[in-house]
Amino acid sequence: MSDTTAMASGHVLQRARAPVEYNDEVVKKFMIASMFWAIVAFSVGVYLALELTWPAFNLGYAFTNFGRLRPVHTSAAIFAFGGSMLFGTGIFVVQRTCRARLYGGRALADFIFWGYQFFIVMAALSYVMGYSQGREYAEPEWHLDLWLTLVWVLFLVVYLGTLLRREEPHIYVANWFYLSFIITVAMLHIGNNLAVPVSYWGAKSYSAFSGVQDAMIQWWYGHNAVGFFLTAGFLGMMYYFIPKAADRPIYSYRLSIVHFWSLIFLYIWAGPHHLHYTALPDWTQTLGMAFSIMLWMPSWGGMINGLMTLSGAWDKLRTNPGLRFSVTAVGFYGMATFEGPVMSIRSVNSLSHYTDWGIGHVHSGALGWVAFISFGAMYYLIPVLWKRQAMYSTKLIAWHYWIATLGIVFYITSMWVAGIMQGLMWRAYDSFGFLQYSFIEAVVAVHPYYVIRMTGGLCFLAGAFMMAFNMIMTIRGPKAQRIALPHGALLAGE
Amino acid sequence: MKREAGDIVMGGLMVPMGLLGLLVASRAVDSEMYLFGLSLAAFAALFGFGLIKRHFDLADTQAIHTKDDPHV
Repeated sequence: MSDTTAMASGHVLQRARAPVEYNDEVVKKFMIASMFWAIVAFSVGVYLALELTWPAFNLGYAFTNFGRLRPVHTSAAIFAFGGSMLFGTGIFVVQRTCRARLYGGRALADFIFWGYQFFIVMAALSYVMGYSQGREYAEPEWHLDLWLTLVWVLFLVVYLGTLLRREEPHIYVANWFYLSFIITVAMLHIGNNLAVPVSYWGAKSYSAFSGVQDAMIQWWYGHNAVGFFLTAGFLGMMYYFIPKAADRPIYSYRLSIVHFWSLIFLYIWAGPHHLHYTALPDWTQTLGMAFSIMLWMPSWGGMINGLMTLSGAWDKLRTNPGLRFSVTAVGFYGMATFEGPVMSIRSVNSLSHYTDWGIGHVHSGALGWVAFISFGAMYYLIPVLWKRQAMYSTKLIAWHYWIATLGIVFYITSMWVAGIMQGLMWRAYDSFGFLQYSFIEAVVAVHPYYVIRMTGGLCFLAGAFMMAFNMIMTIRGPKAQRIALPHGALLAGE
Repeated sequence: MKREAGDIVMGGLMVPMGLLGLLVASRAVDSEMYLFGLSLAAFAALFGFGLIKRHFDLADTQAIHTKDDPHV
């Protein structure tokens, strides 16, 4: 194509595509909320690490007790920080890739934002007041579950409505991942939280299931919360923001489609690996284990796709620390999704289950994958949303990157050592067949590793404060006169 | 920026939502439900005020633009 023809077609394209008035106000709100909740989640996490290291920090009050604060930490990290990122980026991505304004209007979008924040605050208050369903990652009682269902279904309506009014003929793969996250989490949330309230005017309820069926439902939910909330949703983020930040197309679009269908088909079966050596039938445990191992294929396919997108652009990692976060996140995704299936193997699980190895594994995923891919997306989005030339300080992003990475290394290595040591101590017996160690000896043995874990958490928290400062200074800084956008972004009407 | 029908729909929904919150708080049998009911009522009221504020902010902005633009 000659230069003249190319220019002419470019003009036609730009003339035909009038700018769409996107709803970015709600995305901005979600970004600010996400930053706020990140600091809350990490602070509570560090405090809990302190309690585990020195139990006197429980302070003797019911509301500062580990048992009540632990769900505050997990909910703040997963639902408040991670969830706000997913809602915010999902709304941003669906509008951009569909070239359509958000369906449902500003009031509905605002209701989704404030309704979701209301859920988080009420859930956290209920935990510290001592109310919980006792289901991991699904602690809120029935009335809060109903409220979340309302907000979630409205989010689905808004997302689907925007997809249906799209001007682009193709639905970009990131939307597939976001949509599977929204639909599947709705199904999991409703299924797992079926309960009978003791009174319509009281918080207490009892599960609709009992015994091992109840346990199975809980871990069908629990593991798919990992699979569809913490994986599929954030993969949507990966498939949009890494190509954007690297200014490169996805390495293989076909691989991304294979990644999507194989991941969502396999993940939903993996839950029973949480119930090895329980009353759950053996075949069900084995099924969970087998599907977990099969998950290596799509997980690593996705990781390779994310990493190879950097082909020809690896030099950008030196100058763009935001992109460094995203790429390191993909590395951690690969590592955590390798470790998970290994831990799901029954004989490995007999050593790793109930130990701190599990905590280390969860945090390599939560900090390394979820938080890092979110930080990468946020460093890309903040200047775009607030129309700034760049972040306030690139050096501070680099500092954030290194201190957070160091924190993760401290965290996961200490938990590996502590976990494997615990597992080995619990199962060791002497020549007479008696247990070689009492439980308290295993607790004492892991104390130094708990100190290292807490140090790792402090590093990660320090990084989050740097990010918050950088974010505030960027927002308060001068508006860019004219932002130099890449050609692709220009055509997309950004 | 246009005024949207969604504002009226959402604003209308805040009325039964706020009343439901007050009903829950009045009949609550435990402290958590009492707090939830009051918070729901407060949420509905604040969300409604937010919609009203945005409506008048928008009207002010449009009035300023109309005044500045001699062609309108």
